Amino acid sequence: MCMDFIEKTLHLFLPRASNNHKAKILHPSGLLVLASFFILFQAVLNFIPKLGPSILGYASQISPDEIIRLTNEKRAQAGLPSLTLNGTLSVAAQSKGNDMIIKDYWAHIAPDGTQPWSFFTSAGYRYRYAGENLARDFSSASSAVDAWMNSPTHRENILNSKYKEIGIGVVEGDLAGVDTTIIVQFFGSTYVDNIAQPVAANNPINDNPTIKPTIKPTIAATISPTSSPIPIIAIASPVSTVEAIFTTSKIQQFIISPFATTRAISLSVVGLLVVVFLVDSFFVSKKGIARIAGRSFAHVSFLGMIMAIILILKAGKIL
Amino acid sequence: MKSFKKHIPHYISLFAIFFAGVLGFYLFSYDKSFQIGVAIALAGSYVSWGIIHHVIHKDIYLSVILEYVAVAILGLVMILSLILRG
Repeated sequence: MCMDFIEKTLHLFLPRASNNHKAKILHPSGLLVLASFFILFQAVLNFIPKLGPSILGYASQISPDEIIRLTNEKRAQAGLPSLTLNGTLSVAAQSKGNDMIIKDYWAHIAPDGTQPWSFFTSAGYRYRYAGENLARDFSSASSAVDAWMNSPTHRENILNSKYKEIGIGVVEGDLAGVDTTIIVQFFGSTYVDNIAQPVAANNPINDNPTIKPTIKPTIAATISPTSSPIPIIAIASPVSTVEAIFTTSKIQQFIISPFATTRAISLSVVGLLVVVFLVDSFFVSKKGIARIAGRSFAHVSFLGMIMAIILILKAGKIL
Repeated sequence: MKSFKKHIPHYISLFAIFFAGVLGFYLFSYDKSFQIGVAIALAGSYVSWGIIHHVIHKDIYLSVILEYVAVAILGLVMILSLILRG
């Protein structure tokens, strides 16, 4: 039994007569079996949420204060004034986040057609200009802000001179079976804010108040003017700080992070294959075995590139 | 190693493909569609490189092509899984 196991292991990982002098795992069939197992593993990860309570998720501790600080830092670097925290905007952002969790969607426009701007008005924010950035599954505030800054459309929102105020909503909940943290970043300026503010000629914002607000689903950062009289909604308990509306992080009960698990397994498989290719090359070279095969050096280089890409890829989605 | 020295121009082109791919992933970290395109292009380029290299070397066989295809598919599956999970 033990000998049989050793024999199979050697057959799998070392070049010998039984595998035609090439480790079985390096044969096309062996590699395709590995790829199939990987696809199967992804299918299992997708199936897990259907089994029951949240066991998939992204642990995170996102601080709204940090998001605002980093946003203002980026604006300062661009020579723009800081955005002021507006409690009503934060309430609106929090409402949008809660709406996504409750209705289970990840988009600027809700499945029932609710526009982002309706959250502004519902919260009582009378906007002239408004914008929205969304992020999810990020492990830190800085990684989320960096991702937005790397995207031209989101960057445009962050560095838009027409915005005067900011509100952040951080919501934790179950989205498509995976526990996640959603960050909603609302930008805005009211009519009062802009009375003395000149409008940049090259700015794509349409400030014609007669135009109906629209949002293109494919454009991440969308800015819209108001179109109709906005009812002022009284807020019984005005919120003055982000902390007051920020949902306190619940105790993290995540067991598996789908991205981190996939990355760890990918790195392990690539690392194993690199070692087996190197060992295979060593034995073949040492024993002077002539065989028909691809270039091990090229394969190792390709796998090295795969490893570099795996390390570059980061968790987190922006919209 | 002898093979490597003999075909340095081949490997320079291979590394140029890899470098462009890694750079694309790094620079367009916010664009998942672009990353998917780059991943597929890298896998295709690798298989093409393998075929051209072995044709020039006059040792092209079906099993060799399958080997490059299998390595490329495995790498592609891993990267796509991470892009779609991220």
